[in-house]
Order: sequence, then C-alpha cells, then structure tokens
Amino acid sequence: MKRSVPLAIVMVGGILFMIQYFIPHQHSQTLFDYYTEWAPIVGAFALVLGVGSLTRLHMHKIKRKAKNWPYSWAVLIPLYLLPVFALLMPQSMGGGITEGMGGDRMTQGVFDFAYLNIQVSIQSTMFSLLAFYIASAAFRAFRAKSALATVLLIAAIIVMLGQVPIGELIGSWFPKIGLWILRYPNTAAKRAIALGVGFGMLATQLKIIFGVERNWLGGAGE
Amino acid sequence: MNIWEKMLNLDRRWIFLLIGVACIVPFFTPLGLPILPSAEVEGIFDYMETLGPDNCIMVSFDFEPGTSAENQPMGVAMLRHAFARQVPVYVTAYWPLGQALASMALEELTDETADDYFKYVRWEEWVDLRDQGLTERDEIEAAWVAAGNILPENARGWVFEGRDVAFLGYLPYFHLAILGMTNSIESHFPETVSGVPISGMPMYQDHKSLRDLDLAFTSAGSSACVTWITYAREKIGLPVAFGVTAVMATDYLIFVQSNQIIGQMGGLRGAAEYETLLLENGYSDVPGKAFIGMDVQSIAHILIILLVVLGNIAFFAGGFNKKTNLKGRR
Repeated sequence: MKRSVPLAIVMVGGILFMIQYFIPHQHSQTLFDYYTEWAPIVGAFALVLGVGSLTRLHMHKIKRKAKNWPYSWAVLIPLYLLPVFALLMPQSMGGGITEGMGGDRMTQGVFDFAYLNIQVSIQSTMFSLLAFYIASAAFRAFRAKSALATVLLIAAIIVMLGQVPIGELIGSWFPKIGLWILRYPNTAAKRAIALGVGFGMLATQLKIIFGVERNWLGGAGE
Repeated sequence: MNIWEKMLNLDRRWIFLLIGVACIVPFFTPLGLPILPSAEVEGIFDYMETLGPDNCIMVSFDFEPGTSAENQPMGVAMLRHAFARQVPVYVTAYWPLGQALASMALEELTDETADDYFKYVRWEEWVDLRDQGLTERDEIEAAWVAAGNILPENARGWVFEGRDVAFLGYLPYFHLAILGMTNSIESHFPETVSGVPISGMPMYQDHKSLRDLDLAFTSAGSSACVTWITYAREKIGLPVAFGVTAVMATDYLIFVQSNQIIGQMGGLRGAAEYETLLLENGYSDVPGKAFIGMDVQSIAHILIILLVVLGNIAFFAGGFNKKTNLKGRR
C-alpha cells in the first residue's frame, strides 16, 4: 500500500498532464488551472515538515552540546522571531517595501531592517569572497603544464581581457576573439551538454512516471 | 629557497590585499573606460525600442542578494528603459528575497533625492482621473499636469501605479505561477504588494495573461531563467530576454543562437552595455552602477592575469615543472 498508492498517483498525474499539455480544449485548461492553484497549497504543507525538521535537528544539537551548537540558536531565534514580529506588526512583512517608493522610507519595519542590514550584507559578502579565493587559486594552480592546459590558459586570458573595457584598449581584437570563443567553441560544447542533460531528464522522468525508478519513495514499504 | 620558490610560496594574504586594493581604488578614481555593446545586449535594447504605452512587459527579479552586484543593475536598467518609454511593467520575483530586491530597484528609480528619477504617483493619488474614465497614458498625464501637478526639475517623468507599473512580488512555486499566468495573471496575483487589486488597473485591462504581454525579462542568478523558456516561451511563444551572471552567461548563449531568447545581458558587463545604450540614447543622464563597476572589474582582471603569468614564469623558470618537492603549501 505504501508503495502502490504513491506510484499510482505519480503515474496517473504524470500521464494526465503530459496529455493535457497537448490538448487546448477548455476542460483541459480548467483542469490545468485547478492544478496550478492547488499545487502551491499542497506544497505549503512541506513548510510545516521543513520547519519541524529543522527545529528538531537544532534542538537536538543544543541539547547534546554538539560541535558549534551555539550557532543553532542563530538559526532558531530568527526563524521564530521574525514571524512573531510579522504577526505583531503586519507592516513588517511589507517592511517599508512599498512605502519607500517615492523616496520616503519612513515606516521601515523589523523584517525590512533585518533584510537590508543583515541578509543582504551577509549574502553579498559571501559571494564577494570568491574574488579573493579565485585570485589566490589562479596564482597557485593555473599552470600551462600540458598542451591542453596551455590552450585553456590562453583562452581564459583572452576571454577575461575581452570581457573588460581595458582589454579593448590593449588590443581591439581581444573582445572579438573573446566573443568568438564564447559564441562558437563554448556554445558547441554547451549545446552538446544541454542535449545530453535534456535526454537524460526525459528518460528519468519517464522512468519515474512508469514506476521503473523508485528511489524517490525513499525505501517506503520495503 | 630561491627567488622562484619564494614567489610561488607567496603568502596568500598579499594576494588578498592586492585584490582588495584593486577593487576599492577604482571607485574613488573612476577610469570611465568606454564600453562597446554586444549584439546580444543590443537585441534586447532594440526590441524594447519597438514597444510603447500600448504594450506590456514583465520584469522578474529572479536572484538573491549574493548576485545582486551583477543582477540588480540589469533589473534597474530594464525598468528605467520601460518607464522612459512608458511601457507598462509587471514586476515579479522568483525567490522570496527577490521581492525586496525588486522593491529596492523601484525605490532607486523613484528616489526623489536623486537626479534623473521618475516621480511615482501612487494608485490612490490619481483616483480622480480614473473616475473620469481616463485610461490612455497620454490622457492621464495631460490631465494630471492640468490638475496642477508639476514635474520636479530633476525628474525624468511620471510613473503612475496601475498604468505604468504593478509590483506583484513573490509567489512560492513560481514556476507554477508562470504556468498559471499563461492563462490569468490575476488568478495568481489578485493584488499588488501594496494591496491594490490588479483587476481594476488600466494596464491590466489589455494585459490579462502572459499571452497578452510582449516580453518577459528575467534577471536571474540561477537556472530559474530557464523556467521562463520552458513554461512561457515554448508554451505560448512569449518573447523572453535574460540577464544572467557572468558565470552563467556561457551556459545560456545557446538560447540566443537558437532564437529562444531575444537577447542576453551577461554579468556586470552586460548590465554596463545596457546602461551605455541608455546613456547614448538619452534615457539617462549619468552612468549607472554597472558602468562604474566595470572599472573595478578591468583592474581586477588585469591583476589576476598578471598573477597567473607571474605564477607560470616562476613555475617554469624555477624548473618546478620537473620537480614535485616544492616546499611550503601556503
């Protein structure tokens, strides 16, 4: 039962919506509209599971005083505190988002404040660090050790110079050759990969719909 | 330890310092290097030039703060172009955090303390004009000005909420929202972020689903952009344009060549190219953030290339290509 019911739902749903895609009839469209409105509601239940699971995991770490356990508080406190602020001050969720238009950011809420001053800064910083590590890694590891590595090195330098205005000042052919590398050799390889991935996805999806691939059941009913 | 080995074992903190200096200095001493727009970016700009107040586009902020340095200027540039040409815009977001980034972009363009901004007219402020039955863009602006409203000197134009822009925001499972919007935008976004029902908006009357739109522009920091091709371009033939990060640009050029998208802004460079086109065509008076950022990128690229070249010189001059016992691992 644990296996056959989910398998039947996936098979019926998968085949139904494959066929629906090609039928432009009103009834088919109505069914599809119901689906697009229902699916996010069903998906919302996953939020309960996700929050519950996250809470359990971190509470467990705190109780056991596992490695880096204080960071678990950094997960749990904002997780529960921000919705509380949103409930107490509903404008916090809009958080000055609309009030700011027209230049007057007078009603900045807690959510907005936390977002602009914590979330944006943290994520931007994390991504910015890449530049430093890439520079260091390039200096240490980017070597012309073989013919292929040399081709890669030369192509990289040309594309890097072609992508920035200073490259045009050094030589007007840098952007031209850089774009040629991006548009032709790069695209040829990318298209081959994209086609391979596409066929792979198609095969996997068919295997899931017809119950050949069952890993997604997570061992239920075994 | 000879000089080559010392060079190869250079403390990485010196490299970090050099990159830090290279990233900071150009902000204080702008180089203003010229930027030549590519065909991929011109494709988007030329298409936008064919649109006007009777058309409608969707600009989606499909990224999070991590890639905002690259993606945000793209979204801002597209919104600026649309506002300047009075093309109505629906603004959405694929990710929860994208909604706030979209809001920041709208705020940037309507910031009254800045030069070259758009004077934002809230939905409730022009209720009298709607009560008069005015829906055409020219009529609305003429009546608004006739009512005694004067465009400030440093403003470029008016933006009427509900006629020029509708900020729809974020929805969970956004790919389903895209699918659903191919039939009805209102069924998924009954009201804007500020709570205005979109069914009463003048811009909604002729643009009720994605089928009625003329372009979807996605500024994306992930593969979210492909969703627009799968569910909007291929299903209903909606023209789509991409703004993607530099590392993603190589992945998605294939869609430009197959004509599945009308153009692509690739990384900060792509955004700077669009800003250059806006500047050259009189849609803005000052260079945007991406244009300024390209100076930083120029210096950083040169520095990284120099480091790679120096690393290779030291590696071969020191004969380390024949040895494996290089001391130190810093």
